[in-house]
Amino acid sequence: MTKSFSHLDALEAESIYIFREAAAQFSKSVLLYSIGKDSTVLLHLARKAFFPQKPPFPLLHVDTGWKFRDMIEFRDKTVRDLGLDLIVHRNEDGAARGIDPVSYAPSLYTDVMKTQGLKQALERYGFNGAIGGARRDEEASRAKERIFSFRSANHRWDARKQRSEMWNLLNGRLGTGETVRIFPLSNWTERDVWRYVRRERLAVVPLYMAAERPTILRNGQLLMLDDGRLPLQPGERVVNRKIRFRTLGCWPLTAAVESESEDLESVVTETLAATTSERQGRLIDHDQTGAMERKKQEGYF
Amino acid sequence: MSAVAQKSNMHGYEQLTSQPIANLDNATIAHPDRLDAIVRVLTCGSVDDGKSTLIGRLLWDASDLPDDTRATINRSVDADGVPDVSLLVDGLVAEREQGITIDIAWRYFDAGHRRYVIIDSPGHEQYTRNMATGASHADVAIMLIDARHGVKRQTRRHAAILDLMGVRRVILAVNKMDLIIWSEEKFRAIERDFQQLVRRFNFIEAAAIPVAAKRGDNVARRSDQAPWYHGQTLIERLSEVSNRDTAINAPFRFPVQSIIRDGLDFRGLSGTVATGSIQVGKSVQLNNSGATARIRRIVTMDGDLDIAVAGNAVVLQLDADYDVSRGAILAEAVQPPIYAQSLQARLVWLAETPLDTDHGLLIRTSTDLTPVSSLSVTAKLDLETLAENPATICLPNDVFLADISTSRPIAIDRFSDVSETGCFVLVDALSGSTLACGVVVQAHEHVLKHPSARPSFTLSVAQLEREICAGLSSSSDEFHRRANAVARILESAGLSVDIKRD
Ligand SMILES: Nc1nc2c(ncn2[C@@H]2O[C@H](COP(=O)(O)OP(=O)(O)OP(=O)(O)O)[C@@H](O)[C@H]2O)c(=O)[nH]1
Repeated sequence: MTKSFSHLDALEAESIYIFREAAAQFSKSVLLYSIGKDSTVLLHLARKAFFPQKPPFPLLHVDTGWKFRDMIEFRDKTVRDLGLDLIVHRNEDGAARGIDPVSYAPSLYTDVMKTQGLKQALERYGFNGAIGGARRDEEASRAKERIFSFRSANHRWDARKQRSEMWNLLNGRLGTGETVRIFPLSNWTERDVWRYVRRERLAVVPLYMAAERPTILRNGQLLMLDDGRLPLQPGERVVNRKIRFRTLGCWPLTAAVESESEDLESVVTETLAATTSERQGRLIDHDQTGAMERKKQEGYF
Repeated sequence: MSAVAQKSNMHGYEQLTSQPIANLDNATIAHPDRLDAIVRVLTCGSVDDGKSTLIGRLLWDASDLPDDTRATINRSVDADGVPDVSLLVDGLVAEREQGITIDIAWRYFDAGHRRYVIIDSPGHEQYTRNMATGASHADVAIMLIDARHGVKRQTRRHAAILDLMGVRRVILAVNKMDLIIWSEEKFRAIERDFQQLVRRFNFIEAAAIPVAAKRGDNVARRSDQAPWYHGQTLIERLSEVSNRDTAINAPFRFPVQSIIRDGLDFRGLSGTVATGSIQVGKSVQLNNSGATARIRRIVTMDGDLDIAVAGNAVVLQLDADYDVSRGAILAEAVQPPIYAQSLQARLVWLAETPLDTDHGLLIRTSTDLTPVSSLSVTAKLDLETLAENPATICLPNDVFLADISTSRPIAIDRFSDVSETGCFVLVDALSGSTLACGVVVQAHEHVLKHPSARPSFTLSVAQLEREICAGLSSSSDEFHRRANAVARILESAGLSVDIKRD
């Protein structure tokens, strides 16, 4: 007999199906790898989708230069252990102009270093299918997102021009100049991602687990100091606190939570019982209402 | 009952609390490690019937909303202390600015041992296509109506679309019961109208439930306003509805997605079992020539399986190298699909512009994409009378019948036999956009000669290698790019093009 199909089995199978459709329909695909838990799950599913073959596309990390050091270390180890190709792209022009999250508004910084950086990389290598880990449960504009999300020649997202997706038929036929973002985790929730990390015993960046780390309190949010680049404001004190992260972005823009969960098991238990939404930790999303929708229109994945 | 005291206020309503009532009763299983099922629920209703409020209520009373979200919504209480839960269902800025709902939205929540996926689709006539899209994914549909207005033309339209797209379970939520003072008589009359209406369709479940979404009566919490109602609350009904489990009992279908290779020795076919099941050692039919092969291995990264069932994503290794590629559907010889070159189908026109039969069209069925050599509209379906009126053109949001022939045989089923492999979308060959979706009513193995059949053209790989792709390997990206470019130019001139390896 077969074991009964759980919801994670169904989600896993759906994601694998999407990966295989993407690889079959787009001549040049890439997996957008941002090192966090969603990327970890995404990469694991990609390996399952093509096993015993390796995933037939490289990984792309759009590096802003402000990722936690632990993240970069984790990224390099993962790629080495699995024998995968990794492309690291940085918006050199933005970096040369000194666009950083310390002196610029989060929205401008994200636009230059992430959105523009992503577009540059896709264009430089001629990728027409970019696979990302976005989920529909993250935010209102994501809730309307397709699995194959079409972008115009300048990478813009137009909610009104998205193709209807019926049954499980995925139409990836490209019009002139179009590219596609592919979202295999569309129907997963944050809790599913953690349930799956636990079920599959996936290694994640240690920052998800609680440890004593140097922090400051700013605007009611706990920030961790990863290096000396964030100038302290008057009255701010560096305090060692036992913290962890629910979501990982650029370090000055990602808030931590105090936690006692030191191992994966307790992190998952804590997350399953959490009563605040994950995006609370993402300062860029609080920038203004409709921020994600606007970022998407401009080409953010 | 939950531990929270439920006293009555002056209006006779239960005192509302900000706590998720369903979770209080079963807090220990609020987030089990494993959920048994994913149930996809389409909500459809006309503007103002209270769809946002109803979805908001389900989220508010039956799911575990984050505290920060609860706090925000609790700032919007009205004079009676009722929070405006419809605010949980906010849309895009673009939609708010234009005062319209552009698109279906997907929402997720867990209750008991189930994951619910709420597919929220705008109900207005001009959004037939959105409703059809939502319905194609739904296990069950909640049809929402305003108790004051009862069953309307719109309700019939919605039922017709649900039926067309293969939804077999519906729930009629008769909302705003408070505005008809919870009259049993009026509710029963609506229920009778509804039962009359659904008799014309193929639903296997159609229950009516009296609710008041605004305060949550009979949504996730039994109302004390209708002692005469002994049926289930909405969430009770949803917790028992079965999802599409019929797939396992249907004949075996395995649409091939790609070829997976590992070194010289391993060549497997990747895909997800659409319906039925297959075991190692069984024989499968590969194509319309009747060629068969045996299953040697069922491969996954977690180890080989002995049997794969509907929903499993696997790689099948056959007992020898056969010429099978993406687009093929493996089946059992006793119940094969139809290898059709002409079909009769019911379609929903999704595009913003009317059908233009001079345009190059492609048909996507399972994992196959095939040029359409002719398409002729034969009738338009009137969604209110369900009459099929002769027609030759079709406009956006129309539901119509058409005869379609393809440039080569495709493996397909009648939708009523195997819905998973009996549906398709039509694709604009040039722009790539999805123009229509359809379900197969009838399929024929032979070609129907049709006067307006579009001339078809076969580009051979050898020819491409000699001419425009000289010097390029036929597996290279550039070869594909050029071949597709040529095909597109020919297709835009109205030819149906097929690229063939000789
Ligand atoms: N009296 C009463 N009013 C209700 C009830 N449910 C919803 N309403 C009201 O009906 C109106 C429309 O509700 P919405 O939830 O915005 O309905 P909708 O227009 O179907 O939703 P969308 O089209 O998705 O925006 C609002 O003023 C609600 O407060 C109910 O049970 N009783």
